[in-house]
Amino acid sequence: MRALLGKTPSSRILGIIGRVIAYLVMGTFALMTILPIVWLIINSFKSNAEYYLNKLSLPEKLQWVNYSGAWNIGDFRELIGNSFIYTIGATLGIVLFSIMAGFAFAKIRSKATPIIYGSFVMGILLSIQSLMVPLFIEVSQFDKLIGALFQLLHFIKSADNFHFFYNSRVGVLIVYIGSGLPIALYLCTEYIKGIPTALVEAARIDGAGFFRIFRGIILPMCVPIATTVAILNITGLWNEFALINILVSKTGLKSIPLGVMRFSGTMMADYGKQFAALVIGMAPMLIFYIAFRKQITKGVSAGAVKG
Amino acid sequence: MRRGIRSRAEEVRAYWAMILPAFILYMLVLAFPIVLSILLSLSNYNGGKLFGGEAWQLVGFQQYERLIRDPQFWLALKNNVYIVLVSVFGQLPLGFIFAYLIYRRIVKFGDFWQGVLYMPAIISTIVLGIMWSVIFSPTGLIADILNKSYASGFTNHLTEIFKQAGGFNITDEVVKKILAVSDPKALTVFSNPLADLKALLLGYQPSQMPVILSDMTNLLARKWTPDFLSKQNVAMVPIMFVTLWCWTGTYLILFLANMQKIDPQLLEAARMDGAGEGQVMGWIVLPLLSGVIVNSAILCIAGSLNSFALIWAMTGGGPGRVTEVLSIYMYRNAFVGVPNFPLANAIAMSIVIFSIVLIVLTKLVEKRYGGKE
Repeated sequence: MRALLGKTPSSRILGIIGRVIAYLVMGTFALMTILPIVWLIINSFKSNAEYYLNKLSLPEKLQWVNYSGAWNIGDFRELIGNSFIYTIGATLGIVLFSIMAGFAFAKIRSKATPIIYGSFVMGILLSIQSLMVPLFIEVSQFDKLIGALFQLLHFIKSADNFHFFYNSRVGVLIVYIGSGLPIALYLCTEYIKGIPTALVEAARIDGAGFFRIFRGIILPMCVPIATTVAILNITGLWNEFALINILVSKTGLKSIPLGVMRFSGTMMADYGKQFAALVIGMAPMLIFYIAFRKQITKGVSAGAVKG
Repeated sequence: MRRGIRSRAEEVRAYWAMILPAFILYMLVLAFPIVLSILLSLSNYNGGKLFGGEAWQLVGFQQYERLIRDPQFWLALKNNVYIVLVSVFGQLPLGFIFAYLIYRRIVKFGDFWQGVLYMPAIISTIVLGIMWSVIFSPTGLIADILNKSYASGFTNHLTEIFKQAGGFNITDEVVKKILAVSDPKALTVFSNPLADLKALLLGYQPSQMPVILSDMTNLLARKWTPDFLSKQNVAMVPIMFVTLWCWTGTYLILFLANMQKIDPQLLEAARMDGAGEGQVMGWIVLPLLSGVIVNSAILCIAGSLNSFALIWAMTGGGPGRVTEVLSIYMYRNAFVGVPNFPLANAIAMSIVIFSIVLIVLTKLVEKRYGGKE
């Protein structure tokens, strides 16, 4: 009887209306995502004059020059290599260091764990972007300090242009790895806690050292969480702007978002090139997303820290 | 016994070796900058050598006092609050409702919606910011569509008016009718609209009808000017819209993944007992997800308080400085013009303090109203 209650004609009509509204709202959101991107791609093939004349038509002739022009103005040939170095290097660093520390926190007894692990977890809440000013001061001042020391030891002649952290790939990687660590470390530690301690103890009794256990047991078992952590970080690292913007001023060390930023402002003289630059900026991650959508979605939902 | 001691020492060595890389990086990138920031915000450091250069010293809370007295700080804070509000009360509820619609299969093709709605989150915010700033600009997509529809509407009006007047027949009445459908802003070019427009129209030949139509349309039809890019009280609207658009999909994915962990029999039983979809959502799914929602809210607050790249790419804090948020206000004081590092660090600390306050508030709300897990 009660089961029938949900199927009265009036509630069915309500259900249909609800469904229509649901489709409308979601459809609007989806169109607001697809249309601007498609519009951008179409207009990236128009000449400037054609863009002013008609913003809604298809291009008369594909202006590939927009792409070669944007490629040269943005120095993307150099930047794309840097983007790969920063993204891959930082991802590997975050994954490896998180699993190492996670192993120590989860499987080696120590009184220091609650304090150190706790401060890492607190770091999840702290967005590192709010620290860009002290970070900038720190890297430039450390460079001066190290430079002065090296000068004292006669490694270098002058400390004036010596850079170890600022304007260096090492500096960018250090900051990127450090900023990705808290959440990755949390995920890895919780995951490794789930690996049976008996496995580690059995290996200890057989006389294996911790480094062998790490290499032989923990690392192979951590492949799933390593994938999750990597996927969670790749898009964010590739697209990162605020930190590298203050860490690097040399063109040869910049990443793609910094190159795209050159095309900002509606005062750009050439819309076709501006749009081409934006397409160049979004294409790699769009392809990555289309290729690994399932894994990316899974990684993001795993990143939802619970508790 | 001896073996026990040796193995304990090995344990300690292995422990520190394993956490050392992460620990050093954490110190360098998070812990030390915070300490440095607190110190510098209380100092008179002017950007010289920090170690062994000119002396700098702690001078107290001067910079914080200066902040409180700076109207720009309050404007940036207000803008930041808008971003936080649209994130917490826009992205989260919308993401939740979308997730529920997909989870309950109220809408079909869940995979497709999920895939599309999450897409903005994987594209660089710099790219998206520039893209939207062009779309919203006077030479952009929205202006184009609106102005074209205004123009064609105006042309239709004109054609109608001339038809009623029986062709090119410029009387006061016709001119009045034209003035009535014209954009008041366009009429400000005339000192005396009625007489001026009449004189202008009489300058044409009756045979020039198409030219008249197009000229008058260009001159008098309503034009959409993106006021919100220059007016202070609405300048944040496009930014808030893009913020909402950009990250709703992230929460959709988070919530959907957690909904899929709920035992489906629970929901079926409720449905059998006659509960509507709204009741199932409000009384079963929402309480079960309260923990995830609170954590998402916390991450959302921390993230939106630090929003920098999107706004930097969209407006750069402009026009004037009306769309500045705290992070841009801080950036300006440290990297644009003459740097004021103590002030910039005081802003950094105020961001940190502000996010701690909001996070504690969220936790309190959870304690008071949240469901039990």
